[in-house]
Order: sequence, then C-alpha cells, then structure tokens
Amino acid sequence: MERQEIIDGLVEILKTVRTVDQEKLVNVTEDTDFLTDLTTPSTELINIAAKAEQKFGVEFEDDDIDELGSKVRDVVDLILKAKARGDS
Amino acid sequence: MEVNGRRVAVVGMGGVFPTCKDIGEFSDKLFSNKSLIREWDKLKIYGKQIRASSCGFVTEAEMNLEAVYSDIVTSYPEVYIDHLERIPRINMATADIGSIWAMLATLDAVRMSGWTEKETQSETTGVVVASGGGGNEIIRSAWHGFFNMGMKTRVAGSHNVDRAMFYREAANVSCLIKNRGVCESIGSACATGLGNIGHAYRLIKFGVQDRVVAGGVEGTAIEAFVGFDGMHILSKGFSPEESSRPFDLHRNGFVCSFGAGIVCLEEYEMAKARGANILGVIDSYFNNSDGDGDMFYPSFGGQQRLWKGLIPKAGIKPDVVKVHGTSTPVGDPVELLSVVDFLGKDGYHISAPKSQFGHMLGAAGSVEFVAALLMLREQKVLPCLNSVTLNPELENFQKKEGWDGPMEPLAAFRDLLPQKTLEKEINTIACLNYGFGGTNSSILVSKDNS
Repeated sequence: MERQEIIDGLVEILKTVRTVDQEKLVNVTEDTDFLTDLTTPSTELINIAAKAEQKFGVEFEDDDIDELGSKVRDVVDLILKAKARGDS
Repeated sequence: MEVNGRRVAVVGMGGVFPTCKDIGEFSDKLFSNKSLIREWDKLKIYGKQIRASSCGFVTEAEMNLEAVYSDIVTSYPEVYIDHLERIPRINMATADIGSIWAMLATLDAVRMSGWTEKETQSETTGVVVASGGGGNEIIRSAWHGFFNMGMKTRVAGSHNVDRAMFYREAANVSCLIKNRGVCESIGSACATGLGNIGHAYRLIKFGVQDRVVAGGVEGTAIEAFVGFDGMHILSKGFSPEESSRPFDLHRNGFVCSFGAGIVCLEEYEMAKARGANILGVIDSYFNNSDGDGDMFYPSFGGQQRLWKGLIPKAGIKPDVVKVHGTSTPVGDPVELLSVVDFLGKDGYHISAPKSQFGHMLGAAGSVEFVAALLMLREQKVLPCLNSVTLNPELENFQKKEGWDGPMEPLAAFRDLLPQKTLEKEINTIACLNYGFGGTNSSILVSKDNS
C-alpha cells in the first residue's frame, strides 16, 4: 500500500471526526501535526487510531499507540508496520 | 446559608478496602507502607483486549459474599448472599455489589458513631452517598439478554432498576437504616466521594440535618476498568505494587481501583453532649469548576481558586495536604505546583494515598477522607509511595507563555513528599479531589482539640 493512499484514507477518517477543523483537511501531508496543525483534541487520537485499525484492517500494539507521535507520518508508519507484521 | 455556631463533627467511619478484612487491617497496612494493588486475574480471559492489569479490587469471597448467577442469562448475578447475615435478605435483593458495600460500611460507621436507633431513624438524619459508576455487571447482563438474545424484559428481573439506578447506594443505605431525613446522591466523577461528604457537611452546617451518613462507593466492575483502559490512561509496565506512583518521573497513568468509604457526620454540640468519640471536625468545604471549557485537562487557575475558597482566613496552614495525586503525567505536576503556589515550599507534608491503593473513582474522595481521619488518629503522614524520582527539569507547561505559577521543577519540592510513613504532630489536613468536567472539591478537617 502506498503512503499517499494511506494519507488519503486518514483524511477520510478525519472527515468523520467532528472536533477536527474540517477546513484544514485540504492540504494534509506527512508533516501535518494532528495536535498543532489540525487542533485535534489529544483525547481524539485514540479514536483516530481505532478507526484507522478498522479502515486498514490492522491491529496496533498497545505500546506503539502509547508512544505514537502526533504527525500524520507517525500514523502512516504505524499502519505500515502493523501491515508488515500481519503479512509476515 | 451557614447557621452561626453550628459545627460538624465526624463520629463514625467504615469502608471496604482491597485486601483488607476491616478498617483495622486497612490502617495497619497503610501505615506499614504496603500497597493494596494486585494483578487482577479476572481480566486474563480477555487477553490482549485489555491493556493494563494492575488493580485494587475486592472479590465477593473476600467480603464473605457470594453471587447467585442466573441460569437464563449467563453471568447475570440474580442476587448476592451475605454469608455472615449482616444485611437482611430483603435489602440484599435490591442491591448491586457497590450498594452492598455501602450498606456494610454504613453498619460499621453507625456502630462506631454510637447513634441510637431513634437517632438513626430520625427526620434529622440524612443519607448522602453516590458512586462514579460507568456501568456494572447488572446492566451488562440485562441489556445483553434483551438486545442480543431477544429475551423478554422480565428476564432481567424485577430489580434491574433499583440495582442499576444512579443513587442506588443511597437508596439501599436509607432502606437499611430507615432514616427519615434527606436521601440523595451527588455526582461529580472522581470528586464524588469528597463531594458527597461536603454536601452532607453543608446540610448540617446550614441547619437542614443534624446527622448524615455520607460517602462514596465504586463496586468492582470490569466496565469501569475497560472505559479507562480504552483511553490509554491506566498505569502499565510496572509490578502491581509499584504501578501507582504519583509525582514520580516515570509514572504513566493511574491504577483503576474499587472500594467504599462511609462516614457519619453530626452537629458538633450534639455529638459532644452525648460524649461521642470525635474522629475529626470539618472546618471548611469548598468546591468549584475550572471554567476552562476542558473536560479532562487539569486547571492551575481552578485549583488556585479552590485553595482561596477553602482557606478564607490568611495564615491557616494545614499540616498535611492529602492530594488527589492520581499518577497521571499532567495531573500530578499541576496539582503539586498549585499546592506550593498557595502554601509555600515548607511547613507541611504531602500525602498521596492513591500510591497505596490506586484510584477508587467515585469512592476515591471518601476512602481518602477515611485515610485522612486515620492520619489524625495515628498522628502519622501516609506516604507518597513510589515517588522515587521527581522531575529535575521544568514541565513543558511551565515553559509556555502565560504560565504564572512556580518556576521550579518538581524535584525542588522533594522534602514535601515522604516516601514512607512519617510521624509528626497533625492538627489539620486539607483533602483535595478533582473530576472530569473540571470539577474540584476540598475539605479541611482537624483534630478535636476542645
């Protein structure tokens, strides 16, 4: 799965999270920060992680979520890592 | 409003505590620096579904209780049996596990108070007890039967409402002791335990009641644990007894626990006139809201206003501050810095009982109030267990523009936080608890020095 494909999928998820500023979802890149750029409440990150698991058909390790950074890149990496674990 | 001359004494206490058969064992273990936190074996069947596993739980067998399970809906406890016959069967029929604990703790507290049956059943005796309650076994099974298995509503039993409603603990206690005054529950999340005692204090102080049974309860429930586990805010990665570590640099969350704390409050002159053993005198109660519009994040400003409301006269300084101290990354430093900002850097000690038994949610404030009464009785400060290393660096929020609190790291206040029980003269203790929604509660309780 390509990284851009994952980013597009994440944006679809973010469109369903009403506390995220929807106007800021037009130019989401790997450098976009959920907390500072999209002003996502930190408590929503768990919900976004749970939705990503469902959308991409993966299961994250609890420790990986605990240590997750707040940039889009961090979530993309996490999804690819979980996919690789699932494929192996 | 307050009626001049009316004061409020604490004349009885009781509770349900993890790994303890009674309040005596609870006291012995706390002052011996022991932890009441264990690995919760009941979670093992859920495997990787659950992230954390340390818990201060109480089993039915430990309380000499036994659940009778339904043969129609699996895992639905139809009723509980009290093997020691402490509670009449008619009262057991309307109670969930938390309500049973509330009744058991009430029986101990009322016995200690020395109230006669006439006093207990008076129109001027109230009951103010609540839980934080995020669900329990009763609701789980009842709803499963109806929604998933397509069963008739009556399969859940005719006691589904009284065993699951908010205020069930107060209702069950009132039906047990047959008081004729007020009976109600005050909910304020993790400040509930202290909030109910504070409301009871006001009922007496304002002349509405002469005696009140008050406190908080949180019956053992996987539902409550799961809710917080899903937020990734429970302590993980430590042995059970080291998992609750308020103020320690390496803390990473709180330990979800269960229990009950009940106290008997009485108008001071009445208690004195009948020669009651006075466990403490409540000097002041104050509660407020952060006003920051944030459900979760603790507020330095809110806590500063809390202190100003609690101690209106300048110069009054508690000997011990019994903090909320949950062991969460942000809550602890905000709280410690707000205490230091108001009280200064010395002349008192901080006690964090959650370090020994975890966070009892709706029961936290009342069980910790009982711990404060024990500190007054024993003249010993309970420790901040596991607060081994305090952050030598400034917290991130201290570096932000607009921060107007102390500009020293937590390590600068090491001497305030004893890691073991400390003997000292204690006249006054401040008790603090906070809850989701930005609610803050505080009580000042003193030894009876008259």
